[in-house]
Amino acid sequence: MSTWRAGLRNTLLVARRQVGAVREDRYVIFLLGLVIALGVVAVLGARHHAASEAEQRARYQAMVERQWLEQPDRHPHRVIHYGFLVFREEAPLAFFDPGVGAWAGTSLFLEGHRQNTANFGDARHATGMLRFGRLTPATVLALLLPLFVVVAGFASVSAERERGTLRLLLAQGATPAQILAGKVLGTGAVAALAALPIGVAAVAIAGSGAVGPVSPGRIAGLAGIYAAYLVGWVLLTVLASAFRASSRSALAQLIAVWVVLCVAVPRLGASVAGALHPLPSRAEFTAQVERALNEVGDSHNPQDPFFRSLRDEYLARYDVGSVEELPLNWGGVVSREGEAVTSRIHEEQQQDLVEGQRRQDRVLSWAGLFSPYLAARDLSMAVSGTGPEAVEAFRAQAEAHRYDLIQRLNDLHINEIRYENDRAQRLPRDSWAEFPTFGTRPPPLGGALAGRTLSLAALGLWLLLPLLGLGLARTRLARVGVDRAAE
Amino acid sequence: MKARLRLLRLDILRLTRSTGVAVAVVLLLAIGVYAAWRGGRNVEAAASSAIAAETAYRDQLAYLLSTYPPTTEAGEVLYYLAFPAPQPSLPLAGLARGRTEVETASLRIRLLALEGQLYEHETVNPRLAAAGDLDLAFLLIALLPLFIIALTYDLVSSEREGGTWNLVRLFARPRRLLSLKLASRACLVGALVAVPVAVAASLAGVPLDGRAGWAIALIALHTAFWFALCLGVASGRRSSTANAMILVGTWVGLTLLAPAALSLANAILHPVPEALELTVRQRQGYHEAWDLTKDETMQGFYEDYPEWSGRKVPEDVFTWAWYYAMNHRGDRAAREASGAYRGVLRERERWARRWSLLVPPLAAQLALDRLAATDLEAQLAYQDAVRRHHERLKTYFYPHFFAATPIDAVDWEGVPVFEPAATEESATRAGFPAATALVLASILALAAGSVRRASPPTLRESVGAAKS
Repeated sequence: MSTWRAGLRNTLLVARRQVGAVREDRYVIFLLGLVIALGVVAVLGARHHAASEAEQRARYQAMVERQWLEQPDRHPHRVIHYGFLVFREEAPLAFFDPGVGAWAGTSLFLEGHRQNTANFGDARHATGMLRFGRLTPATVLALLLPLFVVVAGFASVSAERERGTLRLLLAQGATPAQILAGKVLGTGAVAALAALPIGVAAVAIAGSGAVGPVSPGRIAGLAGIYAAYLVGWVLLTVLASAFRASSRSALAQLIAVWVVLCVAVPRLGASVAGALHPLPSRAEFTAQVERALNEVGDSHNPQDPFFRSLRDEYLARYDVGSVEELPLNWGGVVSREGEAVTSRIHEEQQQDLVEGQRRQDRVLSWAGLFSPYLAARDLSMAVSGTGPEAVEAFRAQAEAHRYDLIQRLNDLHINEIRYENDRAQRLPRDSWAEFPTFGTRPPPLGGALAGRTLSLAALGLWLLLPLLGLGLARTRLARVGVDRAAE
Repeated sequence: MKARLRLLRLDILRLTRSTGVAVAVVLLLAIGVYAAWRGGRNVEAAASSAIAAETAYRDQLAYLLSTYPPTTEAGEVLYYLAFPAPQPSLPLAGLARGRTEVETASLRIRLLALEGQLYEHETVNPRLAAAGDLDLAFLLIALLPLFIIALTYDLVSSEREGGTWNLVRLFARPRRLLSLKLASRACLVGALVAVPVAVAASLAGVPLDGRAGWAIALIALHTAFWFALCLGVASGRRSSTANAMILVGTWVGLTLLAPAALSLANAILHPVPEALELTVRQRQGYHEAWDLTKDETMQGFYEDYPEWSGRKVPEDVFTWAWYYAMNHRGDRAAREASGAYRGVLRERERWARRWSLLVPPLAAQLALDRLAATDLEAQLAYQDAVRRHHERLKTYFYPHFFAATPIDAVDWEGVPVFEPAATEESATRAGFPAATALVLASILALAAGSVRRASPPTLRESVGAAKS
């Protein structure tokens, strides 16, 4: 029991030593201030930007809903073409990690016969500067804090060795494990000090409810992801410091590792994913859809063979000789069946495209095994609700809403409009006033994480490998002490 | 001279014998050649996308002409027909991809209201785009400086820390030693720049014109800026680790923080609610017309096309002239918002270019994008070209709408072909400001170093530094 307590005391002593060394280093203090300032600026700036974007979308959504209700009495098919505009709402935590939102469209026009793509978005309105990255709280934590950890900890063990104090520590009875644990604790404490203001500011904003309801589970998830990610960096930094001959080479090596893991591999991974699984271009995609549609037919064209056979089927079913005698509006039936067919074809093509994107995503997920930055960002956007699955959920839900809306209008056409002199008739606008409104249902947290086992594993490895390395360093650290003493 | 060259070769050999340097050289070369190959592929993909748009138009036209009876009015068939508007990319786009990942340069335009079609984007996978892309420009502008830092941060301090600096001061000329070390490093870095650039230029077929000249000059000047900065910092009397931290800190500031902060500031300073505004207005402007008298709709049309004001459309029957005039009404309704939208984007671009001059990597990157016509301005110019093309198509087909021409009487071969946005803007205008900024920044970085060197360290200080 007492050895356990002595061990803890030694560990804490070394940790305090490390914090003290950092406090005397004016570079580290300067960088600490810089990281904290940047983090807070990022939180406030990103929050401001997200709020103004959300306000805009809400304003236009309300305008569109009002315009929908204020339509004059119309023929339902007119309303099908009038359609509806929906705007993608960002998740409440988008101010913390905007994820892929900037590269996904914002406004989506829902109309009959077509599936449009969502247009506009931050990236479309940004200059070439965006290529270098974005200033968001998540970037500060995932990209800059590791570099700060490196600066705060690269000399942790090596400086003791260079000054000869490592031997003193060992001679005073501190075991290598206690020294390494103390260095990890000390460096970790400094890292926590840098990360805390960002976390507190973000939690304060999320907790204030100003951005919408945020579940505590998501906040805890984010805290866990970034804690694990940064602990991995602390472990790696102390490991490099223990293994390298000099502080200088430890620093050089750690910076090289940071560049490779945080800057090079993510971009290389994205580029290789795009090269391995190229997507059809927009022009190719729309041409494909067009070809597929041409093969089936066109509900606007009465000469079309598909719709001729549909007519024969209806005539037989109702046992009448011509469409005029049908008890329902044949024009509406054509429109409804046509919508069913074109929607299915559009959706098939869209699913091909989505499948292509998922193939690319998988390449990037594998790249995450070599880049904890990629893995942590992937998990972070999943927990923040700003990942690709949120964008796809919006698209799929908007499409379902579109289909429902159009078919309700087609049903009005079939049942409320007489066949003769069809287009001259109008329905009162109340007919569509009670249609369900659109609201995005974000994908649940569990579902978003379930598809990311690779990223979770990568983050686990990121903790495990440096720990194993430190286990090795422990024995080597003792040898270094003996070797030096024997010289 | 010969002896100098031998020394230079020896120093380069000595450099590459370090495992770290050798690994970095191989990696950078490999990534550079990969990025060059990828750039060539992107240029090819853009070209095949243009062909796809063209083929789709031919196929769709043939399909429509064969399925619709020859007496069908042209207006009905034109409802479905999408005209290609392919903007050929410059070969330099293989080096600097810019924003082409998100933007399409091969829009397909129907004769309907244009504002609803103009803002289609490329089939980008948002997750890949968020991770960022790696083109040759990014490699040379963002990553290469780190290698320069790694080669030069201990140019002087390593001699001092190794105890050899005083020997150098006594027996050799420090300035000559420094210039030798610099020259060997410059040769190595120069090769790392030249090889992938040459590969990219040959793969993408870059002609040796003013654009290419300015692009190479900018890359060279940007590389020189980092050498100047490193020399300025490394010739001071700080320790190697302090130099490393200062230089990497500067790199982070210039390459990651400044661009990210400027992007955020730009977005906050110049909001674009007009994007949503024009969408709402275009839709409203078109659909309202169904509930107006046809004459009301036509009045707006006649204002914009007075040459047709003599041709009235009947109130009681559907005509395609009226139908497309309704579409025109949608564009009219969105015109103001659309103009404001472009105005804000141009303001963003101007603002970005102005501020980029203070941040060397940004200045180089934005100027390269400008030279390669892959920036926001090029995209806006493309949209303007599409706008003009839409007008030309309307002018071509309006006589057919008013005359209710059947499709077999339309001259489909005479349909106007898309005229791409001009890129003949002088390369000097794109390259000169950034080049000047880079030269000034280099001089500043060097001067900052020599100001400190102006007071030479006393012998005691030197000995003290050597001991520590």
